[in-house]
Amino acid sequence: MAPRYQNRIELLQGTLDLLILQTLQWGPQHGYGISQAIRANSGEILQVDTGSLYPALHRLEHQKWISADWKVSENKQRVRVYRLSPTGKKQLLSERSRWEQLSDAIAGVLSPAKRGGQA
Amino acid sequence: MKFPWQCDRKQQELEQELQSHLQMAANDRAERGECVDRAQQAARREFGNVELVQQVTRDQWGWRWLEELFQDLRYGARMLRKNPGFTLVAVLTLALGIGANTAIFSIVNAVLLKPLAMEDPARVVFLREQWRNAFSSVSVASFADVQRQTTSFASLSASNNASFNLTTQQAPEREGGEVATADYFATFGVQPILGRVFTSDEDKPGHAQVVVISERLWRTRLRTDSGIVGRPLRINGMPYTVVGIMPNIFDPLLNNSDFWIPEAFTAEQLADRGDHYINVVGRLKAGVSLAEAQSELNVIALRLQKEYPIDDENLGLNITPLSTVLLGDQRLALWMMLAAVGFVLLIACANIANLQLARSRTRQKEIALRAALGASPQRILRQLLTENVVLGIASGVVGVLLAFWSVAWIVAKGPAEVPRLVESRIDTTTLAFACGVTLFASLLFGLAPGLRSASTQLSQAFKEGAGTSSGSRDRVRSVLVVAEVALALILMAGAGLLVRSALLVSHLDPGFNTSNLVVGRVGLPDAGYHDPMVARHTFERIIAAAADLPGVQSAAVVSRAPLAGGGSSNGLIAEGKPLDLASLVNAQLQIVSPTYISTVQIPLKAGRDFLPQDTRDTTLVTIVNDTIARTMWPGENPIGKRFACCEPGSKGRMDPVWHEVVGVVADVRAWGLDQQIQPQFYLPIAQMPASAWDWIGRTMDVVVRTQGGPIPLNALRTTVASIAPGVPIYRVSSMQQKISGTLERSHFDTFLLAIFAGTALLLSSVGIYGALSYIVAQRTREIGIRMALGATQAQVMRDVLGYGVRLTSLGLVFGLGGALAGTRVLSSLLYGVRSTDAITFVAVSMVLTAVAFMASYLPARRAMRVDPIIALRYE
Repeated sequence: MAPRYQNRIELLQGTLDLLILQTLQWGPQHGYGISQAIRANSGEILQVDTGSLYPALHRLEHQKWISADWKVSENKQRVRVYRLSPTGKKQLLSERSRWEQLSDAIAGVLSPAKRGGQA
Repeated sequence: MKFPWQCDRKQQELEQELQSHLQMAANDRAERGECVDRAQQAARREFGNVELVQQVTRDQWGWRWLEELFQDLRYGARMLRKNPGFTLVAVLTLALGIGANTAIFSIVNAVLLKPLAMEDPARVVFLREQWRNAFSSVSVASFADVQRQTTSFASLSASNNASFNLTTQQAPEREGGEVATADYFATFGVQPILGRVFTSDEDKPGHAQVVVISERLWRTRLRTDSGIVGRPLRINGMPYTVVGIMPNIFDPLLNNSDFWIPEAFTAEQLADRGDHYINVVGRLKAGVSLAEAQSELNVIALRLQKEYPIDDENLGLNITPLSTVLLGDQRLALWMMLAAVGFVLLIACANIANLQLARSRTRQKEIALRAALGASPQRILRQLLTENVVLGIASGVVGVLLAFWSVAWIVAKGPAEVPRLVESRIDTTTLAFACGVTLFASLLFGLAPGLRSASTQLSQAFKEGAGTSSGSRDRVRSVLVVAEVALALILMAGAGLLVRSALLVSHLDPGFNTSNLVVGRVGLPDAGYHDPMVARHTFERIIAAAADLPGVQSAAVVSRAPLAGGGSSNGLIAEGKPLDLASLVNAQLQIVSPTYISTVQIPLKAGRDFLPQDTRDTTLVTIVNDTIARTMWPGENPIGKRFACCEPGSKGRMDPVWHEVVGVVADVRAWGLDQQIQPQFYLPIAQMPASAWDWIGRTMDVVVRTQGGPIPLNALRTTVASIAPGVPIYRVSSMQQKISGTLERSHFDTFLLAIFAGTALLLSSVGIYGALSYIVAQRTREIGIRMALGATQAQVMRDVLGYGVRLTSLGLVFGLGGALAGTRVLSSLLYGVRSTDAITFVAVSMVLTAVAFMASYLPARRAMRVDPIIALRYE
């Protein structure tokens, strides 16, 4: 069964990384908080699967784009809190511009006339 | 790189992290008004499989393979601990194989593979003269000619072995050394640890006498006195100034030289084309290949043939890499040993593969369960292989320990004549070899059972009862048993041939009475004993004094006692034959005192013994051995016949000096019992040519026949020292010790091979026993049914025995084929036995069959005693 999850991670990889980094831009957050924030900010459309979220978090940590610490939450619970690192900030910028290029490109493909007219 | 303890902590943290996620999700739901139980359930459902999330997250850590490896290793170790019987047998079997391989490899490595201790040994070559198919050492004149004419060598040096009486504060002792040209050290490119080597000026006649000594001599005899350089040493009674000390590793020609003295060839020596006695070693110039140098030497040889038609008529010059010349003789026996232990290892592997197959049968359900729980075939195969590697590593550790002891034993007990044997040790190279062998073996014996288990079909495994056996599995087992038997037979045939050869040799007649015969060498220095008369009288006084010692029956001297090694070859021309090379019969010369033949008790076949009256003033006489009598005068009475030899007459080379045969003695095996008998003749000491004292270096063997009891070593020492002060008697031993010394090597080889063959026999009988026991156990139900249906015990027994016999005979057929092809390489190690000796082959086949029969009998008896009632209830 493991391969199925791995496929899904791959499918979401680029975008999920961007979403996590962007969420952490607003401040340190634990895994559950990140998934809730993504869900809320996407108007309940994007539901991040835990089987994708935690591998992604651990991978980003391994790549040193985010760092993690144990903190005690308001509910007196020990939680693992992730924060964006300086290299993570740079990565976020480049991922964002790549995403914008990509969405522009896709938009161009979807409405060729408009783009052709401009040229 | 992460380690397991970090792995555990990180694992706990991940669990906590996911738990906190679940808790927070549940809390949120509870806050929204769901009841606590429901909230927790819903959160868990939303989360999914916690285990799986953990696993895919762990995958991101990048060392999952390591984690799995540790898991496998732990599991493997646990499985082995749970089956101590299997583990013990497997580890011991495999340790035997790995240990034997590692031990023999460390010897092969030390003797053959390690480069010679010199700079760029690949460029160092040994130069020999070649006369048609025979090689000889080089004459000084040829050496000088080659040195003048060649352009292929960066340096070319000459040397010859010599031993000298060295006098220090302690008693005088005989030390081996070399006389060498100044280029000698440069040729090998080794620097002295103290002082310098000698210069080419010092390598000229008439120059001050200098000596370079070995570190060993310096440390043992000279108490590591660093002030020794510049001081004189008394060698053969003459002072030589020590100029340098060479390190212990410097032993380029492997003859344990303790000092080096300049050759300082005289003009007379430089013109000598008749005596071929120097070792010539050269270092090829960079960029000059062996073939190029050889073709240049061919041109030089042709030139010499034309220039000196009498001396150099058939002269050729041959160069061979030094390592080949020094170590070539060792190759065959050592590679043979390595092949033998390789066979032992293969048999051990086959045995363990068989054991594993038997176990994989019983483990089938365990494996099927693992597969059902989601383990992929690769994962299971990897697990099984890892288990084997754990087994292999355990055996490797035990094996290296075994090798450690074996190497120590071989170095201590091994034949002294094998060069560099003492340098054998377990070092990084041999450890790497052991690791390689271990891994190879683990994969070899693990792969087949592993593949078989990993491909197990779930349904099949659970369905199959214990009563039936699958045919293909039995086939693999049978092939393994047949291979074991075949390999064991090849080894046993080889060992059998060597044993038979050794037995034949031990019953050979040496040609004289070896009991109570003591031999020791005495070398008179040139200084004080140059005059042949003085030298002869000294030896005659030593003989008289030795004969008077208590417990001594008689005494004699001989230029080379039998089995003392070496000798000098002379060309004889029978009277009546033309005086040219074609008529020459090469024979070994022994110069003896008149008491020699009676002391050593060589049977006199015809004529008379030498008498004290045979002097230079009377007819020159000789005694020949049977071989000469037969070959020079076939069918004739040799007594009274004459031949020319040994010295030119007063009118030069073509003026023969005749020796009359007065007696014929039995052949003596003078070069070792297992060596060919050569033509041999004896001249009385009182009639020897004056120049012969130089050939034999004024050195003779003193031979004493005692009345039994210990060797009178001290008595001989004092006797010699009282007659020739400062002259030691050395290499004193009994004749029987000398004989066993010459057989040491072949006995050692035989002993080792016999051990390996015995191990192979034992292992393969265990293999047959194991395979049949397993099959009987598997077929218990089938046998029970047959017996219930009326089969008799004898039929059942015949059946199982028949199976064992079929496997054995198939193995014998393959083994005999392999042995016929393989033992051919042994030919040169055998005496009196052909490598296809039928008696040996039949004998080892019978031994193997008998052992195999016994190994089959025990399981067959068990099958016979199967109680049908119990068998049918079985499972």
